[in-house]
Amino acid sequence: MALEAIYVQVLALILFSIGLIVAIARRNVFFVLMGVEIALNAVNLSFVGFAKTLPADLSVAGQIVPLFSIAIAAAEACVGLAMVILIFRNRESVDADTYSNMKG
Amino acid sequence: MTNLPLWLIPLFPLVGTVLLGAIAVISSGSKKGPAEGIVGFLAVIFPVLAFASVVLLAWGMPTEGLRQTLCNWIDIPLFKVDIGFLFDGLSRIMLLFVTGIGSLIALYSIGYMHGDRGFARFFAYINLFLFSMIVLVLSDSLLLTFLGWEGVGLCSYLLIGFWNKDLSNCKAANKAFIVNRVGDIGFLLGMLCLVTVGGSEILNYDSLSAFIQMLIAGGHVEIVLPLLSLAGLLFFIGCTGKSAQIPLLTWLPDAMAGPTPVSALIHAATMVTSGVYLLARMGNLFSLLPVVLLIITLIGLATAFWAAVAGLFQNDIKKVLAYSTISQLGYMFMAAGVCAFDASIFHVFTHAFFKAALFLGAGAVIHALAGEQDMRKMGGLLRKTPVTACVMIFAFFAIIGFPGFAGFWSKDLILERLYTSGSLGPIFYGVGLLTAVITAIYMSRLIILTFFGSYRGSKESEEHIHEAPASMLLPMVVLSIGAIFAGYFWADSLGITMFKDSLAPVLSTAQSGVAHVHVNPIIFAGLGTLAALLGMFIALKVYGNARVPAAKGSSAPEGFKADWTFFFDTIHKFCGIIPVAVLAWIVDMVVEKILQAAQWMVGAIAEILGDGVATFQVRKVRLQLALSVAGVAILVAVVLLTGGSI
Amino acid sequence: MLLHLLVLAPFVAAILMVATSKEDPKSSSRLAFLFGVAFFAMSIALVAGGNQATDPMEWFRIPGCKGPVYYYLYSHGLGAWMVFLSCGLSLVALITARNTFEKNYRNFAIGIFSLMGAMNGTFLSADAVLFFFFFEAMVIPAAVMIAGYGGKERKKAAMTFAIYTLVGSAPMMVSLWYLLTVADNSLLLSFAIALQSLPAETQFVILLSFLLAFLVKTPIFPFHGWQAITYAEAPAPLSAILTGAMSKAGVFGFIAWILPIFPLSMTVVNVMLWLGIATAVYGGLLALRATDAKKLLAYSSMGHLGLAVAGVFSLSEAMLPAVLVLLVAHGISAGVLFYLAGVAERVTGTRDITLMGGLAGKNPVFSTLFGFAAVMALAVPGTAGFVGEFTVLLAIWDMGPLPAVVAGFCLILSAAYMLRFVQKVIFGKPAREYTEGKRMTALEGSTFGIMVALLLTFGFHPAFITNSLHLFDEDAIEEMSKLSGQEGEPEQALPASDSLSGQNSEVSESAEEHHPMTEKEIAQLDSTLAEAGFDESERAALIQQMIAADAAQNGEAAQTNAEATENE
Repeated sequence: MALEAIYVQVLALILFSIGLIVAIARRNVFFVLMGVEIALNAVNLSFVGFAKTLPADLSVAGQIVPLFSIAIAAAEACVGLAMVILIFRNRESVDADTYSNMKG
Repeated sequence: MTNLPLWLIPLFPLVGTVLLGAIAVISSGSKKGPAEGIVGFLAVIFPVLAFASVVLLAWGMPTEGLRQTLCNWIDIPLFKVDIGFLFDGLSRIMLLFVTGIGSLIALYSIGYMHGDRGFARFFAYINLFLFSMIVLVLSDSLLLTFLGWEGVGLCSYLLIGFWNKDLSNCKAANKAFIVNRVGDIGFLLGMLCLVTVGGSEILNYDSLSAFIQMLIAGGHVEIVLPLLSLAGLLFFIGCTGKSAQIPLLTWLPDAMAGPTPVSALIHAATMVTSGVYLLARMGNLFSLLPVVLLIITLIGLATAFWAAVAGLFQNDIKKVLAYSTISQLGYMFMAAGVCAFDASIFHVFTHAFFKAALFLGAGAVIHALAGEQDMRKMGGLLRKTPVTACVMIFAFFAIIGFPGFAGFWSKDLILERLYTSGSLGPIFYGVGLLTAVITAIYMSRLIILTFFGSYRGSKESEEHIHEAPASMLLPMVVLSIGAIFAGYFWADSLGITMFKDSLAPVLSTAQSGVAHVHVNPIIFAGLGTLAALLGMFIALKVYGNARVPAAKGSSAPEGFKADWTFFFDTIHKFCGIIPVAVLAWIVDMVVEKILQAAQWMVGAIAEILGDGVATFQVRKVRLQLALSVAGVAILVAVVLLTGGSI
Repeated sequence: MLLHLLVLAPFVAAILMVATSKEDPKSSSRLAFLFGVAFFAMSIALVAGGNQATDPMEWFRIPGCKGPVYYYLYSHGLGAWMVFLSCGLSLVALITARNTFEKNYRNFAIGIFSLMGAMNGTFLSADAVLFFFFFEAMVIPAAVMIAGYGGKERKKAAMTFAIYTLVGSAPMMVSLWYLLTVADNSLLLSFAIALQSLPAETQFVILLSFLLAFLVKTPIFPFHGWQAITYAEAPAPLSAILTGAMSKAGVFGFIAWILPIFPLSMTVVNVMLWLGIATAVYGGLLALRATDAKKLLAYSSMGHLGLAVAGVFSLSEAMLPAVLVLLVAHGISAGVLFYLAGVAERVTGTRDITLMGGLAGKNPVFSTLFGFAAVMALAVPGTAGFVGEFTVLLAIWDMGPLPAVVAGFCLILSAAYMLRFVQKVIFGKPAREYTEGKRMTALEGSTFGIMVALLLTFGFHPAFITNSLHLFDEDAIEEMSKLSGQEGEPEQALPASDSLSGQNSEVSESAEEHHPMTEKEIAQLDSTLAEAGFDESERAALIQQMIAADAAQNGEAAQTNAEATENE
């Protein structure tokens, strides 16, 4: 059975929705971060899926861009976790709703 | 010795300024101050050197004068001026007595300023003053003259406020500078006006004469007459500032706050006469402008009369002399106003001697009385300080125009020229003669109160009265000799016209337009003598035996005397100071506040808007995220629905 | 190379300063001093070196615009002297700040160097976007330094300064962007050409937005709200730079960016002239009442710069050298006065002049310098200030006697407030007891002395300044026209310069027509001029010029005319 493009994309969509919902719905900031990671990976998956299913000459971008975004996601995870830890030290709380000192 | 470069003359006092200034600054940290011997030597040697070089140059000067251009000064489009010097009959005479009297007064000051902490500073200023004054009279263009013009004003400011611990001295200095500044702006605008008439080259005196000759020759005078009259009037405002004429005369009496040698040098002999010098220097221009000339005469007349009357009311010995200076300057302006420039310069010349002698004598008296300036506390000093008394009495005879003394010749000459000046001449003459009578009265009063009668000060102070040291007496004696004999350089009735002849190459064209009516000089001399004698007689009657009221409080005049004396101060206050103060208040308290309110309002509006927008910033991070997702969704929906092409 | 160094190296220096110790001011001050001297030497070389330019390098392209933005530096006399001011004043600021700030000298030096780089960039850019970039970049280090080192109300002052100046130039940014979309590139010449084809209303709006930026920067009444508080609260060395060099960016903008580009600028000449004179009077009056030493100096600066702006918009032939001399003179004299006021503040511990007094007896050397510097600010002849103000008055007189008389009134005002200032600070007796702060050091004293001596030198020989003036020589115009793809004919391409010299050429042309001058012709000319609306004095002046031209060589009028065009 050939790999239909739509399957991969649907999977990516589901993953992205899960990530988004987690990021929005959970109060624990670690879960929020994980949700963001999932959403990022969903996008990567979507790219890779297109790269696999589209003709070869169009697929190069689909292979390269995920490489970038993986690198960025790694950096983002590092910085994000570091920030979260610092904030946690200050606030003694992992509840994202208590982080409101950026409000004008 | 005409190969001496002209720039050497101002250079000497400039070097003196730099050296003495350096000494003053370097020694300012030490407790004792620099050695007075060295400083005194430096202070005198440079003016003397300048005087010597002037004498050398004056000796062999060709009739048409010497001209030397040093270098270019300003060179921009539309405006080009060189630094150059002009040594001719007029500047020769001015330079001779400026440097000569300057040297004498520097010598005198060594004694007078003995023991003052600012000894070196004082002489640095004096040298700077001489530099500026020399530049003023030696320059060949108006712009360079202006350099000297403001320079002497600056030195006068520095020297009036020399004892700057006392704020009243500083205020007097400020007043002198600011009032002078008003005049200086007149001078400056006058120059601008001339530049618009004939380009920047006519700021040069020679080119100005040539330009005026060209105008007369071409018959174009009428076209530029309004502009030239404006320029002349503006220059005259400059002159009234520097020479303390109505309306800018209030600073000179206040300027007496400075050390007495300064009053003698700057506020009697040299600086205040620079206005007269400028009028004479630009005689060619002024002789074209009948309206301006009339104004000059009237102002001179009014000033002479007003100041003479004010002089009657003063109790401070230096103030009497200050008003007398203003009055004498009025005479010089009158003469200039009827195109008798040579007569007015002659009076400048003789006045320099006798007024400097009077001031130095007054300085010696003040020195002897340990700083007392109120004449009501003096008296009977003839026996205690005979040399000073003699010097002052000789100078007194000179100023009232006693026959044979210097003032007799110059003042009679001016009165004679006034009389022959035209239809208004006899009136001018009458007022001038009346002023001469008043002059004799107030000067006699000064001499009587100071030297005759009995001493009216306290007993303790009487024992300390002493004659001045030799370094002070020598200049006074020399000046008093000048006060006696300076008049013989131009004694028409004796047939001596040396002074006139030396000025003729410069001033003859300016004065050629005046009709010379021949009159009998003996009558004028007789009337002048009569005026002097009458004044002396009146003074003797009034003050000779009268009991002088005991001095109490300040020496300032009171009652109607104060009204008369401070008349122009009041006018300045209401026409100058108060309007500016009110304007400044309005600007500061009203306009500025309104602007600030407007500024604040803009800021407040921005802040209110910002507050409003900030409420969109919901508190929860997650809600924020959800909102932004929703926003993206809406955007996508819009793009999809519209097909991506709005 | 020199240009690159002057613009970029200060930023490098600022970065290098980071390497020095923050705690120990000794090492950092030495390094800063070295850098400062190096930049000052370079600026002298720049002034001496005459006009020069770098090769235009493409910097970036803004999407939607026709041409690229260049990194293109160009030095003409005006800019070079402003760079001289900025480098020189920065050096003195670094010297005197050493005695003012005990700690954290390093960060101050970093700020000074970045400010210097931005200022040099402003005065040297030939590209409008580059100019604007630096013009805005100046604000940031200045505001940060005010906030960090200022007086009691430093936060408020920094905010006011930053917001006022940034908001003032925001409209300029918008119109700059608009101009970029219509012009070939962002160089002066292509702007001038592009503006020609725009409708008058658009031109006018663009002109106004440019004017606003420079009006705020200078500052000119009624946009001076930021100035007094900023200069008063900023540390004295910084105030000196702000007034001595940065505020010149406004006047510089009028000369270098408004007059050559906008043909419409002729319509605002009168307004600007009177605004300048109003500023001069306004500043003088405010200074008369100010009791804060630095505010007084700020108002005095405002007055002088107002006069300079009035001079610029007199559009006289003598305007450029006159204004330049005035700017240089004001830069040095206002700078040294601010430094000295800073020393006075340090010694007495207050800025209030009613609480000072009696310094003449206590610190004679300081007082001598102070007195001299104050006198220099009074435009006494023999100082550079006099040459500047006199020639500016001369330029203003061209517009009629009334503006000149009002400007003359300002000179009287300046005497009044300066003498009051001097009297309150150094004369009399001390107004109160205080513990004396650190006195003026020998190094500071000699530096200020040199500045005063410079003023005297320029006063007696202004040719140092006036000779270096050839704004936009032909090489530069050729270079610019090459970039915009139009070879040659710079005369046509610079419309404003034509109209600039238009007044003069009109005069000299009519002089040529009427060459064999007779009385009758003069009378005739007089009446025609009267019909044309010239008033009496102008008429007489014109006729005089003609007679003078008549007397002089025939070709001379044409020659001066040609020179005028060349100078523009």
